[in-house]
Amino acid sequence: MKNQANPWLTSNLFLLGLGLLPAAILIGALLYFTAWAFAFSFTDLALVGRKSVEWNWVGLQNFERLFTRRGFLESLWTTVIFVFFSAIVGQSVLGFLLAAVLRGSQSTIRSVVEVCIMLGWLLPDIVAAFLWSATTSQTGLINQLIVVPLGFPPINFINEYALPIVTIANIWKGTAWSYLLFSAALDSVSREVVEAAKVDGATPFQRIWLVQLPIIRPHIATNMLFITIWTFTYFPLIFAMTGGGPGRQTEVLAVFLYNQSFSRGNLGFGSAISVAMLVIVGLLSLVYLRMLREPK
Amino acid sequence: MLKRGFLTTVAAMSLMAAAAIPAKAEVSFMYAEWIAALVEPGIAAFEAETGETVKAIKLPGQGYDQRIALDLAAGTAADVNLMDSFMVSELASAGYLEPLNDLASGWDQYQYYLPGLLEVASYQGKVYALPTDTDVRMLWYDKSNFEKAGIAMPWEPKSWADILDAAQKLKDAGVQYPFQLPAGIKQGEATTMQGVYMALLGADVPEGDRNRLLNRETNQWIGDSPALRRTFDLYHQVFVERELNPADLNYATDIGAAVRQALADGKLGILASGSWEDACLWDCNNPPSREDRDAQVGWTPWPGSGEPGTKTTTNISGGWTIGVNANAADKELAFKLITSIFDEANFKEWTLANHRMAVRTDISESPEYTADPFLAKATALAADTTGRDTVPGYQTVSALIQQATSDLLDGVSVDEVVQGYHDALVDEFGEENVITYE
Repeated sequence: MKNQANPWLTSNLFLLGLGLLPAAILIGALLYFTAWAFAFSFTDLALVGRKSVEWNWVGLQNFERLFTRRGFLESLWTTVIFVFFSAIVGQSVLGFLLAAVLRGSQSTIRSVVEVCIMLGWLLPDIVAAFLWSATTSQTGLINQLIVVPLGFPPINFINEYALPIVTIANIWKGTAWSYLLFSAALDSVSREVVEAAKVDGATPFQRIWLVQLPIIRPHIATNMLFITIWTFTYFPLIFAMTGGGPGRQTEVLAVFLYNQSFSRGNLGFGSAISVAMLVIVGLLSLVYLRMLREPK
Repeated sequence: MLKRGFLTTVAAMSLMAAAAIPAKAEVSFMYAEWIAALVEPGIAAFEAETGETVKAIKLPGQGYDQRIALDLAAGTAADVNLMDSFMVSELASAGYLEPLNDLASGWDQYQYYLPGLLEVASYQGKVYALPTDTDVRMLWYDKSNFEKAGIAMPWEPKSWADILDAAQKLKDAGVQYPFQLPAGIKQGEATTMQGVYMALLGADVPEGDRNRLLNRETNQWIGDSPALRRTFDLYHQVFVERELNPADLNYATDIGAAVRQALADGKLGILASGSWEDACLWDCNNPPSREDRDAQVGWTPWPGSGEPGTKTTTNISGGWTIGVNANAADKELAFKLITSIFDEANFKEWTLANHRMAVRTDISESPEYTADPFLAKATALAADTTGRDTVPGYQTVSALIQQATSDLLDGVSVDEVVQGYHDALVDEFGEENVITYE
């Protein structure tokens, strides 16, 4: 190895160290923030007031309170439902179906649908939140176009079905990613394999289920890994649409963390929540990473 | 070759880094959009007079409290900041704000500020911010909907039962939001002040601070009391048991805009809010004419609960302030900006046009101010007002109160909510700082 390096560079250790510096800083910065959250999860650090400067170590107290106080477990459950339905069922399955169906279709139709899917993704979260609030309000588009003409009284969607509405909004927002990824993955499946299956008498469903899906399995795992991580920690759309409410109906962990850290001002407790989120997401990632491995 | 390439890269990167560091700032100033009509002429006057530029950071009102606390805590706040008065002592106790006594001593208009309001913005005997306005709280109502529901006007409820009756009639008449009572965390301080505290003050006798969140004698937070239970029960009645108001307005993407829209659409019955709504129900910076406003809405003081010995009407006052960051580069220049904003002509014009309650005697005693019928009535209401428990810790308690109302909205029982609130207070302040009233 050493022989391949530039002799001028290897003889100049100082410069070599200097070259390493950006990497060291980057890794240090990444570790610093995680370490910061981890360390302060054992303190009673506050955002403002005296405890923001004179904080104390409190041991495992914050972690105990995750389980003994109302909030964390409820939010965890809300988050699990939100991630499962909006990311795994919604974005991933819908994205795959769209990719599979549009593969064979005309290029103009495909382009039009693609642009429509992408629009949701490209809109800033706050704009999307306003759009969804307006659309689902009692005088909004859904009521005016569907509910009222069918003879039903208008429904106040955010009031009655807050979690389903933010879930659907997130599916709308995030499907583009899964679609693009699966589209590229399906393109990588060689035509010969699919045609061979066809010749062997496989039905279209069998061709997808038994041929294409196993081939793109690593892509599915990668997609799951990404969307699970970022949906688990997703904040802006829900916060802007409902702020976690009504009551706590849409208080996912990210919103709970925000409320505890910045409204209540308890950064120690907030850090404990973020550490717990880190552990949960870490465990989920391990599961997906195992899926990524080639079967022996 | 390599060496030259390397050096060129280093040089280029240093240049980029240097460009990324902002030029030495002028004076930066963060404020909320609703106060633009006061501060923007002040900024212009300051720039014209000093030749300095002001880096103005104008933000929406929602989430502003969290933003200012976070910015100051993180050391990224502007030199001059608008903040809710309840935060001043807490921010000052953490050392984030500059005491203004010395800076203000040379300013001839400082003498006019009402001492009681400076007190709210003080910590350990030093003033840390200057108030922009104060306020009173009341129940606003839409006159056309009251007519539709057959409720006599002027509406003068004598107890909570009267409010609930009116709300029931409005609901029966098909009004969508019969009693918009601020609740939940997204409403922030509005939940605590416009909702919970206004009810709490009339929920029990004032003796021993039984109708408050804090016993001000002993500085202990009240974790459980008949007043708290009655207040929480009022929320339970409104949102769960009698369903006198849908919860969604409290969680709208932009709550202020949603409330204004509901009023404009004729969907609002009663709104628990404050004196600023005389302008802000339409547009804080540009309200419609007096006649238009009076034709549309009326207001009445919040009645007490009707329990024996409680107050007949309640009121609590807050207000906003402007203060200087302890890390401001040029504190004298920063304070100069504050004096430009609060210069009498500018301050008085805004106070009158927006129907704010004056914080200075040179304005409150002026003939224009005393002749204004709305301000005269509001000032009469202020004769029997109180302030928040602006001791450090209040912000946390306020957030816990907001959280309690969230749980009530979810249908959690009053007993369970009180227990949760009590436990959270103990978590934050220790057993010795939390008391219970039987």
